[in-house]
Amino acid sequence: MIEIEKMGKPAVPIVSGRFEQDAVASSRTFAMPDLKFVTVPRIYRNLALDECVRQTELAIDSLVHALVSGGHEADNGVDGHDPERRYSYDAEDRYAAVLRMNDDFLSRDWGDSLPLYPATRQAVDALLQGTCLPSDHLVCDMPPGFGLATVEKIAINAAMAGALPEHMPVIIAAVKALSELGPHGGKSLLMSTSPHAPVLVVNGPIAQEIGLNPRSGLGPGRDNQVNITIGRAFSLCLRNIGQWYPGHMDMDTIGTTRKFVHCLAENEAMSPWEPFHVDRGFNREESAISIFVTDGELDVQDQGNTGAEGLLKTIACGCTFGTRSLGERHDAERLIFMPPDVARPVGAQGFSKRGAQEFIHFNANASLGKMIQYMPLEGEARVAANWKWLLNHSEQERLNMTVPVLESAERYYVLVIGADRAKTLVMPSGPSPATVGIDAYRP
Amino acid sequence: MYTLEVLNPVAQQRGVLTTRPINPRPTSLDRKTVGLLWSGTHGGDVALKRVGELLQDMFSDVTVNFYTGGNYPAPPPIVRQAAEECDVVVGATAD
Repeated sequence: MIEIEKMGKPAVPIVSGRFEQDAVASSRTFAMPDLKFVTVPRIYRNLALDECVRQTELAIDSLVHALVSGGHEADNGVDGHDPERRYSYDAEDRYAAVLRMNDDFLSRDWGDSLPLYPATRQAVDALLQGTCLPSDHLVCDMPPGFGLATVEKIAINAAMAGALPEHMPVIIAAVKALSELGPHGGKSLLMSTSPHAPVLVVNGPIAQEIGLNPRSGLGPGRDNQVNITIGRAFSLCLRNIGQWYPGHMDMDTIGTTRKFVHCLAENEAMSPWEPFHVDRGFNREESAISIFVTDGELDVQDQGNTGAEGLLKTIACGCTFGTRSLGERHDAERLIFMPPDVARPVGAQGFSKRGAQEFIHFNANASLGKMIQYMPLEGEARVAANWKWLLNHSEQERLNMTVPVLESAERYYVLVIGADRAKTLVMPSGPSPATVGIDAYRP
Repeated sequence: MYTLEVLNPVAQQRGVLTTRPINPRPTSLDRKTVGLLWSGTHGGDVALKRVGELLQDMFSDVTVNFYTGGNYPAPPPIVRQAAEECDVVVGATAD
């Protein structure tokens, strides 16, 4: 709608349900804060057709007011936000002042509801020593709200996460990587009602230098302090720079703990193959961070295979978890965190990483009817022309059709991560990851 | 008494720096062409078509054009076509 207004014609969206705040945030993000819209109570997609009609009829007068002159003027609340403002908290001692700061910041939704470290000038200046970039350097416009991600703002949010100066190059690179992810930095995925969430993976010497855990690195605990801190710093940047606030530009239906973003390191020492960043064009001696967007995770348990083909078939079976669209292109991918107890025997028995990807792709097939989730096809505009023939088949016939889970072998991303035991983690993912070098951000 | 001073973590948005006003509205929809832009999700088409019917009842000689690119966001050529062919456009966000 904003694009149409920018082309010179009045345009009004009908906004469903809880998306009113999203409409306000989006109109501000896309430089038209006075965009007029009307709201109806419920999201159309899950309503019976007579209810779709009824709630629309009730909104028609508001719609006419928004389309013709003389209607009420929109006030979508462009505030006088001052990014340079400082916030002061008086209390009987420092501890009490920090608690007051936390109460205020968390009420503004500037955190993740866990206690925040105070981003004092001193703390932020210390973090700025961790990079060669000046504080006013603009790293990118950070999606989904396209906030100006200066080094200063990144450092403020990193300070709130408890980051150390040596973490700064990784955090800056992670922010940059998000902006290079898919169309508009994955904006539409971040704003979706599905729980699409980023995950970060570091390669190269910096991972060991700063203490990222490449083994059981995706959970809580002492050994994962650096993993968690860097992921949290990135999460806070996403909210306060990228405007990824729940209910505004993060519209998840239920949500996911994966939005407490985690950062891992590839277990390069235990991998039989070149590290992932080498696949992406970097040298092994360089450090880089890759960002993926995941839709879920499945623990693929291998119960006794020692042969490469058995191990890989088990993973291929796990990769059938997930859905597919009936659009012109099927862009889905799978992110595979393959533990050393799978990768090493697979590599030792002659599989290159590419060979493993191709073997998985060859064996990962599933029922088309199940992958499209029993989707009613009649009257559905999201069925592309090359899938229209499906309309002539019954539900049972669709269930009986077997198709490859993904379009090609390179859509399976294999990274070696984890401790002992052949338990692979498979995540539906996409769009394709972005990888950014870290070394340019070192002091 | 202790005073804690902290820095603002919230960044300026690019869009706020490049704000544009909305377009002037027509005084009436009489003899106007109304575009209905559907994102392709269930129910949105039914709602928009009802909007078209109601506007044709409320105003005289209203032409209604229906557009869809089958997905969200609508493909740029579809958006451009709607902007070029219509006086006003109504859309639905259904998911």
